[in-house]
Amino acid sequence: MRRLLDSLKKSFRTFDKGMREDATSLIRKQLDEEENIFALLTMSVFSGIPSPPTGVVLRILPHMSREISVMTRRSAGLDDMFAQTLGTFDID
Amino acid sequence: MKTYFFLGKGGVGKTTVSAAWSAGLAQSGLKTLVASIDPAHNLGDAFAVRIGDRIMHVGNNLDAVEVNIEDMIRAYLDEISAKMKSTYRYLSAMNIDGYFDILKNSPGIEEYATMEAIKKFVALKGYDAVVFDTPPTGMTIRVLAMPRVSLLWTDQLIKMRKRILSTRGMVENVRGKFEAEVDGERVVLSSSEKEDPVMQELVSYREELRALRDMFSSEQSYVNVVTMAEDLALSETKRIIESLDTFKIRVRTIFLNKFFAMANPPEEIKGKMEEQEGVIKRMKAEIRGIEVKDIPLLRKSPRGIDELLHVYLKYLV
Repeated sequence: MRRLLDSLKKSFRTFDKGMREDATSLIRKQLDEEENIFALLTMSVFSGIPSPPTGVVLRILPHMSREISVMTRRSAGLDDMFAQTLGTFDID
Repeated sequence: MKTYFFLGKGGVGKTTVSAAWSAGLAQSGLKTLVASIDPAHNLGDAFAVRIGDRIMHVGNNLDAVEVNIEDMIRAYLDEISAKMKSTYRYLSAMNIDGYFDILKNSPGIEEYATMEAIKKFVALKGYDAVVFDTPPTGMTIRVLAMPRVSLLWTDQLIKMRKRILSTRGMVENVRGKFEAEVDGERVVLSSSEKEDPVMQELVSYREELRALRDMFSSEQSYVNVVTMAEDLALSETKRIIESLDTFKIRVRTIFLNKFFAMANPPEEIKGKMEEQEGVIKRMKAEIRGIEVKDIPLLRKSPRGIDELLHVYLKYLV
């Protein structure tokens, strides 16, 4: 009986985790996009977008690790935008 | 504390006027610092002493410094580079040194360093007045405008950051602490404004910029123009006044420097003197509400505190 309860608990937990993953996957994509735009704007000295005054960039630069990594990941996947978009909407 | 800025085209005599002004303030009993933020320094020539990038005593109540902007930029970038290298290992893969080589030459870095230098000297304790000998007009205007322009950007970036943190918060509410992988390491990212280092940095920078913007526009800040009685110089003076006005910075005094004052001028310079008179008339008609002080062309350029003080007492005060 106890074993049955434990395995039920476990499967509920996995189910709950899956539901939570699913519920936030789109928001996470949105977050990635927002962080990417933030990084692009503040590091735009490389990409030709009008950039903020150097002082602003220099101040936040040491704390931009997460955004730099998102931007690098996003730019690496730019050649497969179609697959990314389909993936976002769960289309196989 | 009062701050004095002397702006103008190259060669109009900004250094002499600011040196004489600082000598006068010091003589009146104010503990004064005169700082050259012009990359082409010659403050030392005016005081007839060697002045370096460390504050030194040049007279009673008077200290002076010539800021080495290039060194400031290098030191600041080295500091950030070291901080980033030690914090984020994965940046070594991004060729961080190459990145800083670009930053060193990026547009606006000199203005930024100059603004930082101004901020540093204004924050010094123990001075009643700081006098700035500035670089030629264009750059100085950009430096004085920088707090306002940077504030526009900072405000927008703060708004964007708030949105990012709010989205992070949504994920956090459903899934618990927000974790992300940075270079193979799991790091917990906070959705709280007080714990997000980027937000903290932006907010504290905004405060510094506001203080500087308010200082430039305050009654304690005296922005003056040094010019000459020539058509081009008059046009530039008008442009300086208009540009600064858009940033709510008021020009207090115009120092009309190096004009010929002779009772019986030789034939060769009569034309020049007529041009001068015309410019002075136009200046008085077109620029209203700003005091104009005349400093005639001196027989000899003043060198050393005594001669500078003489110029201050005779023409500036």
